Amino acid sequence: MDLAVDLSGITKRFGAFTANSGIDLAVRRGEIHAIIGENGAGKTTLMNILFGLLQPDEGTIAIGGKTMIVDSPAVAIGQGLGMVHQHFKLVPSLTVADNIFLGMEIRRNGLIDRAAQEERTRSLSEKFRLRVDPRERVAGLSVGMEQRIEILKVLARNARTIILDEPTAVLTPQESRDLFRTLRSFVDDGMTVIFISHHLEEVMAVSDTVTVLRDGRVVATKPKSALSKRELVRLMVGRDVSFDRRPRGQTNGKVALEVEDLWVRDDRQLAALKSVSLSVRAGEIVGIAGVAGNGQTELAEVLSGLRPASHGRARLHGQDILDLPPAAIRAGGLAHVPGDRMVRGVDRTASLSANMLIGRHRRAPFARAGVIDWSAVHGEMWTLIRRFDIRARGPEDPARSLSGGNIQKVVLAREFTAGGDVLLIDQPTRGVDIGAQEGIHDEIMRQRAEGRAILLISTQLDELKALADRILIMFDGRIMGAVDGAAMDEDAIGLMMAGVDPADMTEA
Amino acid sequence: MEVLGNLFNIALLVATIRTTTPILLVALGGSFTTKAGIFNIGLEGQMLIAAFFAVVGSIYTGSSLGGLLIGVSAALLFALIYAVLVVSFRANEVVVGLALNILAGGMTISLLKAIFGTRGSVVGRGIVGLPKVQIPGARDVMGSSAQLISGFTPLVYVAFLAVPLLILVYNRTQLGLYIRVVGEKPEAAEALGISIARIRYGASMLCGLFAGLAGAHMSLGYITMFTENMSSGRGFMAVAILIFSAGDPLKVLAGCLLFGFADAFSLRLQSFGFPSYLVLAVPYSVALVALFALSWRGRPKRLRETAETIRRALSVHPADAGRDAPASRS
Ligand SMILES: Nc1ncnc2c1ncn2[C@@H]1O[C@H](COP(=O)(O)OP(=O)(O)OP(=O)(O)O)[C@@H](O)[C@H]1O
Ligand SMILES: [Mg+2]
Repeated sequence: MDLAVDLSGITKRFGAFTANSGIDLAVRRGEIHAIIGENGAGKTTLMNILFGLLQPDEGTIAIGGKTMIVDSPAVAIGQGLGMVHQHFKLVPSLTVADNIFLGMEIRRNGLIDRAAQEERTRSLSEKFRLRVDPRERVAGLSVGMEQRIEILKVLARNARTIILDEPTAVLTPQESRDLFRTLRSFVDDGMTVIFISHHLEEVMAVSDTVTVLRDGRVVATKPKSALSKRELVRLMVGRDVSFDRRPRGQTNGKVALEVEDLWVRDDRQLAALKSVSLSVRAGEIVGIAGVAGNGQTELAEVLSGLRPASHGRARLHGQDILDLPPAAIRAGGLAHVPGDRMVRGVDRTASLSANMLIGRHRRAPFARAGVIDWSAVHGEMWTLIRRFDIRARGPEDPARSLSGGNIQKVVLAREFTAGGDVLLIDQPTRGVDIGAQEGIHDEIMRQRAEGRAILLISTQLDELKALADRILIMFDGRIMGAVDGAAMDEDAIGLMMAGVDPADMTEA
Repeated sequence: MEVLGNLFNIALLVATIRTTTPILLVALGGSFTTKAGIFNIGLEGQMLIAAFFAVVGSIYTGSSLGGLLIGVSAALLFALIYAVLVVSFRANEVVVGLALNILAGGMTISLLKAIFGTRGSVVGRGIVGLPKVQIPGARDVMGSSAQLISGFTPLVYVAFLAVPLLILVYNRTQLGLYIRVVGEKPEAAEALGISIARIRYGASMLCGLFAGLAGAHMSLGYITMFTENMSSGRGFMAVAILIFSAGDPLKVLAGCLLFGFADAFSLRLQSFGFPSYLVLAVPYSVALVALFALSWRGRPKRLRETAETIRRALSVHPADAGRDAPASRS
């Protein structure tokens, strides 16, 4: 069998913790090989070992049939491997072309030949049909665009085997479809793709072979044709997980959050929200559906005080909150789970305890007479680690050492226990495995039962279908329409997400 | 009017160029470490040690070039020690920088005693100063303003020509690009197999080279002597300029020119009989005020927010926001 990559007996320990134990992974040339598993199962660790960013404690690596020591990414790149990381590694102040050729600059007379690099970028971008502007600076580009650049970066190095770590976690459905079309065309050209994902539908749709990891071990490697989604779930989590709509009681609470004719501009001074009005009652979950980038982020930012509004009103328990600083809005009872955990969710270098403490560092029991009582903080963090099933060794771990999904749980744990009675939740399960998704959904439902008013922004319809009482659909900064969560019509929502006015639908 | 005329003339510009040179050299050196993500507070010490050994070297070798080389070597040695401690052993940058500054201060004083048997300063004793470069024909073409471009020591030209050179290095060479990447996004460098440590060592040594030139210029340039603590805070001034310029060569030049001008101006005031303790404070105060003014833009959140609110109230109208958006989006 022609193997692009053959790992055998890979073991990796971090201190006393074993992240990978005795992993065998054989990837055939010319296939799309999906790796799935819960948060913290060791997927990223394994790929980092293959790519030379981490050294295994035991085991051997063979690339293209040759057994070798991969002690730096340079070795892996030299063997035709390329990796698109879970968190992108682009330099914001450089242009697209500079980023693509970083580390392999085209030079003439000792100087970097910008024109040639831009030309090569253009031709690569045409060849693989990944549109980019070579001269644009990376700072301020969308994540979809950043990912495209990362892929081009890998292609420019003549990679024949491409590793993608959770490539779709940050993409819109449209962007994901484009990505998979691109990956398919790669394997048609004889290349090999390894990708990590939490979206089982897309794993079932695009992969040829699936490897499931659990607690650092391989539990199965099977051709996709021999698997069903349900089986995958059971292999991954060890039990069945339901995606059905959650049962719930009647809502009759008072209006807690009210938005009226709200207009907001984005960073480029374009209108990002156009006359948005909505209200959320206590004990109600209002979902915001829409393709990412249609104003959802701005809505969350303006309500949490991170972005100024240009016109309109927003009231929290009847009190005006526009123009109040974030701390005052929080004090008024709003908790915010930001959409980008790395930017606004956590301080990656700080400990879990410190991350949990942020925003409540003046309050008893964490502060006494202005002095922080760390034993109380650690105690609370232990409680949260258990309640939210955060896979960490303890409260003193730096946030950075956690897997992506577990970092998300830290943010949720902090915000859900902040004492706010209005929850503004932006993408709660981005990058979170399905087992943990279920846990987070349970937690959101519990918050609802306790009478919290919840505004839930999600790009995943399944999630809204399971949780929301009402769903508002956003497109280009406007609310296109509302549907009842219990009787939702996916086609209608899909059309509204694409900008079709519901008033026109009946005629068509 | 006459007083002003005496204060501001070509001689003042020439003096500015001279006084700017040492701080420009050392700040350009610091630009490498700043861009590479190292907060190098050890510039002062590297400059001072170079000034001392440049004097020693020029006496021993009997040539200014020998002095220059030995002075620069001393600064490079300090830069190497700094890099070993900070890059390889990950010691705290500020602590190591301060320690080396103190070491340089103490070491020059005790070596002064040990080698020359004096305290305070060495003058004469066969110190060879750097030659002056006369640009042929400059006087014929430019007349008395020729002194603006001709008659300086070589390091003056090196300092000013280094500015465009550094711009070229940062924008068009691999080394410059890597230095920037290592400072801005080390993860990116690591993922591409660029050694962060190697680049930081390189930046550190380049910094030592320039700090060494700055030191040699101080003791072998216009005055040929060494005085205890003769760098007199220029290294720290350079650090301040670096913080505000983020190591950008043009901004570094602007900051250094400002400091150099204030320095030259204060010398001028001194010769007019102003009390020297006030006059000597001029360059530092001017530089501090200017830097403060620069940073002011970033600071006053309340002021900015107020302005923002006013602008919002005036500019954005829901009606026109709706009109312009679709067009500019598409
Ligand atoms: N540098 C490190 N130091 C200590 N522990 C680490 C380090 N890197 C990873 N770990 C731990 O190893 C385990 C596996 O992490 P890994 O990032 O491989 O998970 P993952 O399967 O990619 O999860 P996710 O789906 O959430 O991204 C986690 O429990 C994590 O906390
Ligand atoms: Mg991961």
